[in-house]
Amino acid sequence: MRFDSGVRAPAPASGGERVLLLMSSRTYRAGSFIKAAEDLGIDVIVGTEAETPLAGQGSLHIDFSDPEGSVTRIQAFASEVPFDAVVPAEDDGTWLAAETSMRLGLPHNPPEMVGAVRDKAAMRELMLARDLPTPNGFRIDIDSDPEDLAGELSYPCVIKPRFLSGSQGVMRVNNPGEFVFAFQRVRRLIQQPTISGLGGQMGDSLWCEDYVPGEEVALEGMLNDGTLQTLALFDKPDPLIGPYFEETIYVTPSRHPESVQAKIVEITQKVVQACGLKTGPVHVELRVNPDGVYVIDLAPRSIGGLCSKALRFDQGDSLESLILRQALGQDVQGALRELAASGVMMIPIPRGGRLNAIAGVQAARAVPGVEEVIISVPIGELLVPLPEGGSYLGFIFARSDAPNQVEAALRQAHAELEFDIQSD
Amino acid sequence: MGENGQVQAGTVDYGREVSGGVGMIEITPEASAKIKDMLQASDRQGKVLKVAIVGRGPDGYEYSLRFIKPDDADPDDQPFQVDGIDLLVDADSAPKLEGARLAYVENAYQTGFQLDNPNPLWEDPLSQAVQDVLDQQINPSVAGHGGWVMLLDVRDDVAYVELGGGCQGCGLADVTLKQGIDVMIRQAVPDIKQVIDTTDHAAGTNPYYQPGKGGPAESPF
Repeated sequence: MRFDSGVRAPAPASGGERVLLLMSSRTYRAGSFIKAAEDLGIDVIVGTEAETPLAGQGSLHIDFSDPEGSVTRIQAFASEVPFDAVVPAEDDGTWLAAETSMRLGLPHNPPEMVGAVRDKAAMRELMLARDLPTPNGFRIDIDSDPEDLAGELSYPCVIKPRFLSGSQGVMRVNNPGEFVFAFQRVRRLIQQPTISGLGGQMGDSLWCEDYVPGEEVALEGMLNDGTLQTLALFDKPDPLIGPYFEETIYVTPSRHPESVQAKIVEITQKVVQACGLKTGPVHVELRVNPDGVYVIDLAPRSIGGLCSKALRFDQGDSLESLILRQALGQDVQGALRELAASGVMMIPIPRGGRLNAIAGVQAARAVPGVEEVIISVPIGELLVPLPEGGSYLGFIFARSDAPNQVEAALRQAHAELEFDIQSD
Repeated sequence: MGENGQVQAGTVDYGREVSGGVGMIEITPEASAKIKDMLQASDRQGKVLKVAIVGRGPDGYEYSLRFIKPDDADPDDQPFQVDGIDLLVDADSAPKLEGARLAYVENAYQTGFQLDNPNPLWEDPLSQAVQDVLDQQINPSVAGHGGWVMLLDVRDDVAYVELGGGCQGCGLADVTLKQGIDVMIRQAVPDIKQVIDTTDHAAGTNPYYQPGKGGPAESPF
């Protein structure tokens, strides 16, 4: 059969390995993955819904909103241009990677479990059914009248879409009035045309769960035949108490006591095992309080945005390099993060409006310990803050001897930045 | 030519060895009339027209046409007289302007001076070969996304490029570079072993694909 893909993929330059890298047009990670593949001598086919202008040279057009059709397309493509692994850059491609890998006989996570954990409702129901520590919650039909429900809830609680990430659409509510307002707000958000297509049936309901107080951490891990390898444990030193949950600073290594860190790893291992995840990166967010450790979120992918730049491993490996190597069957279990403390600040959007100018970037870069300041939003862009917004103004990266120094450098650099935002 | 004397890029190719002399630059009757008319202005009387190449842009050489006082001329400027108009040509630019034709265009689409330059953009064959790939294969493709790729330099076996327009800051710029630009240049010009992108992507103001989590949302308020 001649597969008319429109792609003229070159043979692997070195006769080596080839990876299908799945990424959407909104990816932050193209550069990091492409560079890692280049450094490793791996040939890459990029699977994306984007119309790439020079697509003849190794990209495959797929449609993330048509997963079954995309699986068929990838299988047909692979019959002519075989590859050795399918790697998702971000959330969009996790199920597609699992399903196609399974059909092609490549290492994979169970697609049904990957699909389940992408759904915040299904994931929590799965964990609650296994008596794992996660907030109690329930689904609320999108067509419900929030006035009817408001009086029956325990407060405070958290309402969130089932399918968005990065705290988009997540709101804490403290009383019935706030619940009604938040429900209507999140419903409007997920019914916007640009968003509704991302969730499919997950848009049929919202998820409402108990608010769990405590300090939040994020564990970046790699699964090797179901066994968790902790790559980094990040503290999130800014309090995440609502009403929105804007992620800002991540610092590693964690400053929590070793016993707490051990508990975090133990809980994470149990959760990924319960979810049937076997291989590849995993990003888990947890809350720690005197009562225990609670899983807030779990995703079978690596840390989002440009945050992976905060991680370096021995022999100079990037996180993307580890992911690609592991996907190709290499043993990365010995990989250790560098000794230095490291951190990233996702620059929050202070308010909505048109971004006119940014000042202080050079001063921010000059702060001792700061390695890079990346502004990822173009001047002139309309900024939408949480809970409706889905992007950051940029990223600040710092390294130093100790986590406290990293956190201080990030805060000082952020204080140097001034954003001229004009309300429309 | 506007008030600042800049001629828009994009209308020319250039450069051959030149020994100087009358006729190095041809001036069309329309351009000649316009220049003479402009020289009648009180603040331009006694001035001469200086022509220089000021850089390369995505559409070719970029030029400067300015009226200057003869006393302000650079000692190395090459003087010519064409159709009664006193011209000064920047010495470094002169070899790349031989045979150029200065026209004045006035139609529904554009108004202004236009330099048609028959000389190639690059003097060394390797750079020109890379430029040809950009002109004939790459830029016509990325133009569909409002983008362009400009060759900045070739040193040894490395081509340095800059991406602009919709390519600058695009979330998939690295894919375009590594899967497209790099491969196409190295295939067509085997002496080039590496293509390096020097673009300040953070300064992009209109990226075709903008990185961002989730979906683009509009504020409901």
